[in-house]
Amino acid sequence: MSAERSDVEVLAAVADGDRRALRVLYDRHAPWLALRLARRCADPGVVDETIQDTFMAVWRSAGRYSGQGDVGAWIWGIAIRRLIDALRRLPRAEVLVAEVHDRPCVEEDVLLGVEHGDLGGALSRLSPELRAVVQATVLDGLTSREAGRLLGIPAGTVKTRMMRARAQLREELA
Amino acid sequence: MTWHVRPDLLERYARGDAEATQAYSVEAHLPSCEHCRGQIAALVDAGRLERVWDDIEEHLDAPRRGPVEAGLIRVGVPDHVARLLGATPALRLSWLLACALVLVFAAWGASRRTEGLVVFLALAPLLPIAGIAAAYGPDLDPTYEIGLAAPMHSLRLLLIRALAVLVTTTATTAVASLALPGLHWSAAAWLAPSLGLTLTSLALATRLAAPAACGSVAVVWLLSVAIGGRVTDEPLLVFGLAGQLTCMLVAAIAAAVLARNTDSFERRGGIA
Repeated sequence: MSAERSDVEVLAAVADGDRRALRVLYDRHAPWLALRLARRCADPGVVDETIQDTFMAVWRSAGRYSGQGDVGAWIWGIAIRRLIDALRRLPRAEVLVAEVHDRPCVEEDVLLGVEHGDLGGALSRLSPELRAVVQATVLDGLTSREAGRLLGIPAGTVKTRMMRARAQLREELA
Repeated sequence: MTWHVRPDLLERYARGDAEATQAYSVEAHLPSCEHCRGQIAALVDAGRLERVWDDIEEHLDAPRRGPVEAGLIRVGVPDHVARLLGATPALRLSWLLACALVLVFAAWGASRRTEGLVVFLALAPLLPIAGIAAAYGPDLDPTYEIGLAAPMHSLRLLLIRALAVLVTTTATTAVASLALPGLHWSAAAWLAPSLGLTLTSLALATRLAAPAACGSVAVVWLLSVAIGGRVTDEPLLVFGLAGQLTCMLVAAIAAAVLARNTDSFERRGGIA
């Protein structure tokens, strides 16, 4: 029925209070959100809660979508901030940031990096700590403060790590 | 968009095995590519997403909290008590406005003549019992049937609401009293009668329906004010020291009766 409707049209229907439209949006976007959030938080319970919060927020504020950029990117902007809120409510010890802890094998990363060319290689050779900061600020579009909350480090540390990462990338790509 | 993520990379990404820079590419691509989103949806546990959706629907179906209820929860009142209070007819804005209006006119009258003061002092204690008459019962309480079936003592419900009514009307009346001419002791003379009438109404409500209990108390009160004023030529007689003490005494007796009769209250299945 709604396979032909674009995300923007579906979102407009959500803004009008159409719950079936929310379901359409959920079917389209919840799966990849679940995977992307899982790469930033190892606790499936927190991820599920974040997905729920995200679509509740979409339901309430669908009218505030500006029409600029992809609906998917807009939803992700909500989701990553909901994740940060959820993590803030948890005791720090329970949170594992998958990206930082899941990559003990730096050598393999470096080899793959060479295979995928200069930028990929340079990114891969960053230490996991620096790469997590690059991911949070560049890819997820978070501010230093938000990235700090996501990774469990102070905002100042995010800034210095970002500076170090930039310096290292510049050196390698020069 | 003509470029799509290779299926094997999508699978590795879904498993969490994709190498970091490749994962970045996937993540940068997904928000804008419907095709790849559709491909990856098949790799996610559908049952889990269905459960999350059920939670979302449950939240969407939950009734929205009114301003009174939300305010109470913010102050630290437990959820279920806040909901009960929020449904109290006497806490509705229309009710509070009506109270305020009555008080404004009475206070205005009191600033003109002594008889006006008597009217003010006689009316002020009636406001809380009018609220209690409306706080619980089949006619006015929107949650009456739910209240009967709820695992909660009917008297407790009535007391919680009576307390809320007493607090709000007392606060409103106290503000109105400040408008009385010259801050005299009489500006607070409604307090003890207010307490006495409220507790007597509650005690009677263990035997009668709440509106009947409150109504008879109101009639007795108005008669005693009128007769007291006529017989002795002292219109404020009921509000003098003796009157105040009598009100306190009545309040104490009513409280004792109320405490003894809590069981009979529950056996009758609440006031009907």
